Amino acid sequence: MRHAIRSRPMPRGMLAVGVMVLAAACAAPAPPRTVAATSSPSPTGPPVLPAPAGPHRVGSTTLHLKDASRPDPWVPEVKARELMVTLWYPTEARTGKPAPYMSARESELTLKGKRITGVPYDLLSRTRTNAFAGAEPAGRALPLVVLSPGFTMPRGTLTALAEGLAAAGYVVAGIDHTHENHATTFPDGRVAECVACDSDTDPGFGTKVVGVRAADVSFVLDRLTGPGARWQGLIDRTKIAMVGQSIGGASAVAAMLADRRVRAGVDMDGTTYARIPKKDGLARPLLFLGSAGHRPGGRDGSWERDWKLLTGWKRWLVLPGADHQSFTDVPLFGDALGARAPGGTPAARSVEITRTYVRAFLDRHLRGEPQPLLDEPSPRYPEVEHCALKGCA
Amino acid sequence: MSGKGVAAGLALLFLLTACTGQTPPRAEAVRATEAGTSACAHPPRGTDPGPQTPVTIDVVEQAYLCILAYHYSGATLDARSLLLAGFAAFTQELNRAGHDLPEATMPALGGDRAADWAAFEAAYRRVTGRLPDDGELREKLAAATLRAVVAALGDNHARWAPGRRPPPGYYDGDQYGLGLRTSLRAQVGENPGVALPPLFVTAVLGGAAEKAGLRPGDVIASIDGSAPFIGGQVTSAAIAALYPQYPQADPVRLQVRREGSSRTVTLKPGLFQPDPDAVRPVTAKVLDDDVAYVRLGGFGPDAADRVLKEIARLRAGRTLTGLVLDLRGNGGGSPNEVNRLLGGFAHGEVTAYLCRVDGTCDTMRTDDTVPLVGLPLVVLIDRGCASACEHFGSVVKDLRLGTLVGTRTAGAMPGPAEPYLLGNNTVLTLPSRRHLAPGREVIDRIGVAPHHHVPPAAKDAAAGRDAALAKALTLLRG
Repeated sequence: MRHAIRSRPMPRGMLAVGVMVLAAACAAPAPPRTVAATSSPSPTGPPVLPAPAGPHRVGSTTLHLKDASRPDPWVPEVKARELMVTLWYPTEARTGKPAPYMSARESELTLKGKRITGVPYDLLSRTRTNAFAGAEPAGRALPLVVLSPGFTMPRGTLTALAEGLAAAGYVVAGIDHTHENHATTFPDGRVAECVACDSDTDPGFGTKVVGVRAADVSFVLDRLTGPGARWQGLIDRTKIAMVGQSIGGASAVAAMLADRRVRAGVDMDGTTYARIPKKDGLARPLLFLGSAGHRPGGRDGSWERDWKLLTGWKRWLVLPGADHQSFTDVPLFGDALGARAPGGTPAARSVEITRTYVRAFLDRHLRGEPQPLLDEPSPRYPEVEHCALKGCA
Repeated sequence: MSGKGVAAGLALLFLLTACTGQTPPRAEAVRATEAGTSACAHPPRGTDPGPQTPVTIDVVEQAYLCILAYHYSGATLDARSLLLAGFAAFTQELNRAGHDLPEATMPALGGDRAADWAAFEAAYRRVTGRLPDDGELREKLAAATLRAVVAALGDNHARWAPGRRPPPGYYDGDQYGLGLRTSLRAQVGENPGVALPPLFVTAVLGGAAEKAGLRPGDVIASIDGSAPFIGGQVTSAAIAALYPQYPQADPVRLQVRREGSSRTVTLKPGLFQPDPDAVRPVTAKVLDDDVAYVRLGGFGPDAADRVLKEIARLRAGRTLTGLVLDLRGNGGGSPNEVNRLLGGFAHGEVTAYLCRVDGTCDTMRTDDTVPLVGLPLVVLIDRGCASACEHFGSVVKDLRLGTLVGTRTAGAMPGPAEPYLLGNNTVLTLPSRRHLAPGREVIDRIGVAPHHHVPPAAKDAAAGRDAALAKALTLLRG
């Protein structure tokens, strides 16, 4: 028991604020802007997501799914768990309405939740995406990637990665884990806010969240690949992986342990919580993709703990110049919010690296294509270090 | 440490490193103090400190200057008392390590803070210069010195402790130890006069205690052969042995009595997953169909809103006649949460005075944006109710917002502490103002006495009875 006021490592809602305000306040060295300038907006314009490399064009749609088999874990009086899911997928459509990034209300609640002021509250909703809303999907038996965002972050903040994967021929399902972000809007206009934020400093909170998300993922997989699926035959149910950022990445490990359908996982900078059985370990492929804080011997020991229990294909990659949010769209908003991209890696570059390495991992494990990129440091991406318990190279 | 706290903290790790200024050279720092500023500063908000580095004499100096600049008593205290305590601990640690030296004598101090430090540091360096080149020994000596300098303030909220890496195999929510709580807390040594026999188990959380079959109400007659009380005085070291911290891993042998029979159990400290209900910070239920019971384990972030939401939830669809707020074991937290929660019971009131050594005071007030709860209130308190918890209790008592039931609170409320980052990325916390209750009485060391004294008893714990709660319900019925 300590009677003194305990300083929390990082209160909720401080993520973006911390990143943006601190980056400005501390006058960290300016990152090179030349690369970012090709795809980042001008300081006054709306944010723009970098166009994916292709080869496919991308469609997107949203699903409202209701799991009546369990109450909402954050609001137990609500007897069903409702989820909003965005699907991104390859399409042959040549024209269409650009898919919305998020609603104006969601943008406002997200910015307010992160205590960002001085920008129009609808700013994020004006982000320009590269997907056609509601376009018909093209292809059959495509591999499926589930995306899970960081705590307090809406699913939209992984759109750059989602569009990149869909353009490469994946069906991508981004899940809003209701009440674990600042705003999720249901089709009837109800907006669910961050109930989980009330208890986010409780002991065991992370463990609870990854358990909830694993259950969310299993339910979404049932709906996407079961008899009631919207597009029969679009998804190959034997080729499913999960990718997440922060606690979404930790949830990928939890979902793999809970559901054998999830064949491979990527954890982008997330401290992990799920208990991998000591006896059996986890034999399916896993990629840890982290920023400087997730180097071996760093402040968070969870990856080291888990690394020993991963018995299958595994990689531990670190971008020392990256930030916790570098694997999301957040750095792309840096210019729009009048602040520098955190961490030193320009926004467009971190998007490219994230898309490239995550795709290589998925191509390797869902499509069986060799990926030398994953086997050793690459001269094309000198920012990326390959790590093991002893250190990084 | 909270889950995404860690993850999120990592986000800014190197930003912080980039932002944290280096310790200024010594001479400069001393001059800075003379000018009324200090070598220490608040850690940047919302970030994790960078990696911790060893304590050196320069870090001790920084802490000394920080105390003189920012602690409540900094402007008026005789700084020699800090240096004397530091040097005493230094010599004791030397002796413990088998390296006592003839040169280890206290230098003469004249009362000039800068000159005295210089003399202290010279003596310290003269001794350590003659020691073997052993980094671990040097670190131990410096840490013991720093700890003693801070402890010399005699201030419960003036603290320094290096961070700890969690044990290998640790998961969020795990605890380390024997897996039990007893009628005495680990910190009983700080205020031994409050401890009364017998020592008994109050809760079994998991781990070794659970495996050994211990139960609430079990009386602990000895700990590694030591009696918990000798001549009516608590044996603090024996009590502390019940609460080992990683990497302490030696088994602890307990002689335990239950219903007249006695047995010996050996408990090995380790990681365990506590019963989630026992560690949940906020729990709520309805008792006897019309009394709301809310237990709050600490005034952490959102504590007030969580309690108020629970009350609203319990109220839905029924008429409540009273509220029991259980703050036993509530170790404190943020005064803002206290003021917010108090806003549910009174408006427009002063909840505390925070006074500097020169007599000037700031006031804290109820958060009047909170709607009044409007229910008769009984608050359960005990010796584990500390700091912010006592702030709450003192206001309930002074403003007659409700009835206090249980035992006197911890008496650990010198004033709200603020963190200061030291050069080795450890944090020193210091209060700069003294806390006074609304009636301007001191809570620190004294505690808040309940209206109704209902002490915990081993036989109640064994029978699963909660005498204080029973009294609370009687009062609400009355």
